[in-house]
Amino acid sequence: MELLNSILVKPFADMIAAPDFLLQVLWEGTVSGVLYALIALGFVLIFKSSRIFNFAQGIMVVFAALTLVGLHQNGVPALLAVPLTLVVMYVLAYGIERVVLRPLVNQPDIILFMATIGITLFLIGFGELIFGGENKRMITEELMIPTGSFEFEPFGGFVLMEQKDIVAVGGAILLVVALLIFLNKSKMGRAIRALGDDHQAALSVGISLSTIWVLVWFIAGVIALVTGIAWGARAGVSFALEVIAYKALPVLMLGGLESVSGAIIGGLAIGILEKLFEIYWGQPLLGGNTETWFAYVLALTVLLFRPQGLFGEKIIERV
Amino acid sequence: MRKLIRAAILSSAVAVAGIASSAALAEDSITLSNLSYRTGPFAATGIPLMNGQRDYIMMLNDRDGGVNGVKLNYEECETGYSTEKGVECYEATKGESIVTQPWSTGITLQVLPKSNVDKIPILAPGYGFSAMQDGKTFQWAFNPPASYWDGASMILSNISDGNLDGLKGKKIAFLHLDHPYGKEPIPLFEQMAAKHGFTFLPIPVGLTEMQNQSAQWLQIRRERPDYVIMWGWGAMNAGAITEAVKTNYPMDQFIGIWWSSLDGDLKLVGDKGKGYRAISWSLPNSEAPVMQDIKKHVVDAGKSLINQGEGEFDWVFYQRGVMISMMLVEGVKAAQEHFDAKVINAEQLRWGLENLNIDEAKLEALGMSGMIPPFSTSCSDHTGHSGAWMLQWNGSKFEQASDLLTADREAIDALAKDGAAKYAEANAPWPVNEECKM
Repeated sequence: MELLNSILVKPFADMIAAPDFLLQVLWEGTVSGVLYALIALGFVLIFKSSRIFNFAQGIMVVFAALTLVGLHQNGVPALLAVPLTLVVMYVLAYGIERVVLRPLVNQPDIILFMATIGITLFLIGFGELIFGGENKRMITEELMIPTGSFEFEPFGGFVLMEQKDIVAVGGAILLVVALLIFLNKSKMGRAIRALGDDHQAALSVGISLSTIWVLVWFIAGVIALVTGIAWGARAGVSFALEVIAYKALPVLMLGGLESVSGAIIGGLAIGILEKLFEIYWGQPLLGGNTETWFAYVLALTVLLFRPQGLFGEKIIERV
Repeated sequence: MRKLIRAAILSSAVAVAGIASSAALAEDSITLSNLSYRTGPFAATGIPLMNGQRDYIMMLNDRDGGVNGVKLNYEECETGYSTEKGVECYEATKGESIVTQPWSTGITLQVLPKSNVDKIPILAPGYGFSAMQDGKTFQWAFNPPASYWDGASMILSNISDGNLDGLKGKKIAFLHLDHPYGKEPIPLFEQMAAKHGFTFLPIPVGLTEMQNQSAQWLQIRRERPDYVIMWGWGAMNAGAITEAVKTNYPMDQFIGIWWSSLDGDLKLVGDKGKGYRAISWSLPNSEAPVMQDIKKHVVDAGKSLINQGEGEFDWVFYQRGVMISMMLVEGVKAAQEHFDAKVINAEQLRWGLENLNIDEAKLEALGMSGMIPPFSTSCSDHTGHSGAWMLQWNGSKFEQASDLLTADREAIDALAKDGAAKYAEANAPWPVNEECKM
C-alpha cells in the first residue's frame, strides 16, 4: 500500500505542494528537450535525404564547437569566428561527400553507416590533434549571449531561468522554423524531400545527388554548431560533448528517423518526461540516475505499438 | 596555428622518441608504462596528470641520465578511460613494462586478479579499491599515499572541525560519477553516517548526464543538504561546478575529492567558484627545485606537451602527476639499492614499492618539500596514509586552506580488513603474503 502511495499519490502531491519547483523542473526539462531535439534534427535531415544514419552527428557537435573556440583563441573575433566555423563545416560537408559518400553510392545502407563511424573516428583523432583534449570555455559573452539569470517568485516560491538557456531555446526555435520554411518552400528544400521520398524518381528529374548531400551535411553542420554553442555554454567544450549524441537516439526512436516534427516533439517529450520521472519517481524510489535509461524505455514502449515511431512513415514493401 | 605547431612537435617528438627508444633499448633501461587517457570524455582530467608524470621522467633522463645510470622508458597506452581498452593495454604492456598504472578504478578492479598471475605491480596513487591498503591480501597492488576512504574520512573531519559527532542531524549529499570510482567511498560514508548520526544522500551522475546535471542539482535544491561532497571525474566536475554556481549553492559547503580539483574546470566559472574546496594529497609549488628543474630540462627545452598558454605548469593536476612519477621512481630506486641491481624486474619493483620511505629528508633532497606529505609503505600497508590538505579556489587558483588532515584509521583499517577478506573469499583461491608478519 505504501509503495502504491509513493508511486500514484505522493509524486502528484509533491507537485501540488511545491508548484514553483514543478515549474523549475518543467523549464529544465524543456531546455534539455530542445537541445536533444537539435541533435536529433541533424540525424533526421541526413537520414531523410540519403537513408544514412549519421553516427558522426555527435562528434560534429564537438568539432564545430571546438573550431569556433579554437578560432577565437587564435585571435579571430567571435562574431567573425562564427561564419568562419560555418565555412569549415561546409568544407567538411564537401569533403565527406567527395571522399566518403560519392564512392559509396548504391552501396547497402550498412556500408554507409559504417562509413559514418569512420568519419567519427577521423574527426575524433583530427580534432584532438588540432585542438587538444582539454575542456575549453565557450565564448558565450563574446558571442553576446547574456549569462545572467531571471528569477521569478511564482506561488510564493522561486524559479530561476538562465538567460543563456532562454537564448538556446529561442535560437533552436528560430533554427527549426527556418529549416521548416527552407524544406517546404525553397527549391532545394523540396529537392531534399524528394530525394527522401524516392531516390530514383528524384534523380530522373535532374536533382543532383551530390549537391543535395553536400547541402544536408552542411545543414547538419550548422545544427551541430548551434547545438555545440548551447551545450558548451553549460559546462565547457570538450570531447565529452560527444556522449550527448546518445541522448538523441531514443528521440529518434520515439519521433521517427524521417520526421522533422517527430524530432522536435520527441526531443521535447523526452526532455520533459525524463526530468519529471527522475525528480518525482526516480530519485525517491530508485536512487536516481534514471535519465540514463528512462528515454530508452519510453521509446521502446512506443515502438511496441508503432514500430515506425510516433511520426515515422509506415514503410510497406511489396515482395 | 599554435595548436598545429604543438601537434607537429608532438608528432615529431613521438617519432624521435620511437627512434631514440630503440637505441635506448641497447643501453640499460627500464620500461614504465602508463595506461593513459588523453582522449575521450575524461581527457581534460587525464592530460595534465599524464603530462606531469611524463615530464618528471623526462627531466630525470635529461638531468641525471635516468636513475642510477639506467634510462627510464616512459610509454603510454591510450585507454580513453575505457575499462575494456584498459585491459587490452594491460595485456599489451605487461611483457615489457615492470609496472602497470591503470588510471581508473574500473580498470584496476579488472587487472587486480591478473596481477597475481602475471606478477606485475599495480600502481594506483590515490585511486583504485581502497582495501588495496591491505598488502598481505593485495600483494601486487599499491595505492599510496592515500585511499578514497582516507579522502572521505578527511573531508568529514574537516567539515566537522574534527568532531564528527557535530554532524549529527546534518544532511550530506554525495554527488558521484555512477562508476566504480564514484561508488568506492560509499561504504565508509554509510558507516560514518550510522555512527555519527548524519543523513547520507548519494546522488549518482551517469556518463551521459555529466554535462547536464540539472536533475541532480534540482534534487540538491529540494533536499537542501548542509554539504555536497563530490566524487567527480572529467567533464562531470565542470558540469557540477557550473550547476552549483547556477543554483547559488554556497561554494564553501561544496567539497570535492582530489580528482575534482582541476584548475581548468574552476577557470570555467572563475570568481563565481570562489570558496569551492577539494581535499588533496599534493600541493602545487612552481618554485620548488624539482619544478624548476622540469621547467629547465623539459618545458623550456620544448619537450613538454603542456598547454603553457593556460598556465598548466602551475596546475594542481600537473604537479600531482609529477608526485605520482616520483613515487614510482622512488620504488625503482629502493629496489635497485636493495637488490644491488641496475635494471630491475617487476618482482623487484614490488619490493621497492612495498618499502617506500618518503620522509621529510627525502622530499628535501628531491626538491619537493611541502608538495606531498611524508609517508611510508610496508608489506602490510600498501597505501601509506599520508594525510592531505584542503585546497580552496580563490577565483583564479587553488590555495592551501587547512593544515595536514589525517584519516580515521581505526574505522578505515577495520573496513579495509573486512573488504580485503571478502574480496579474497569471492575470488578464492586468492594467494596472500604469508611472509608478511606485520
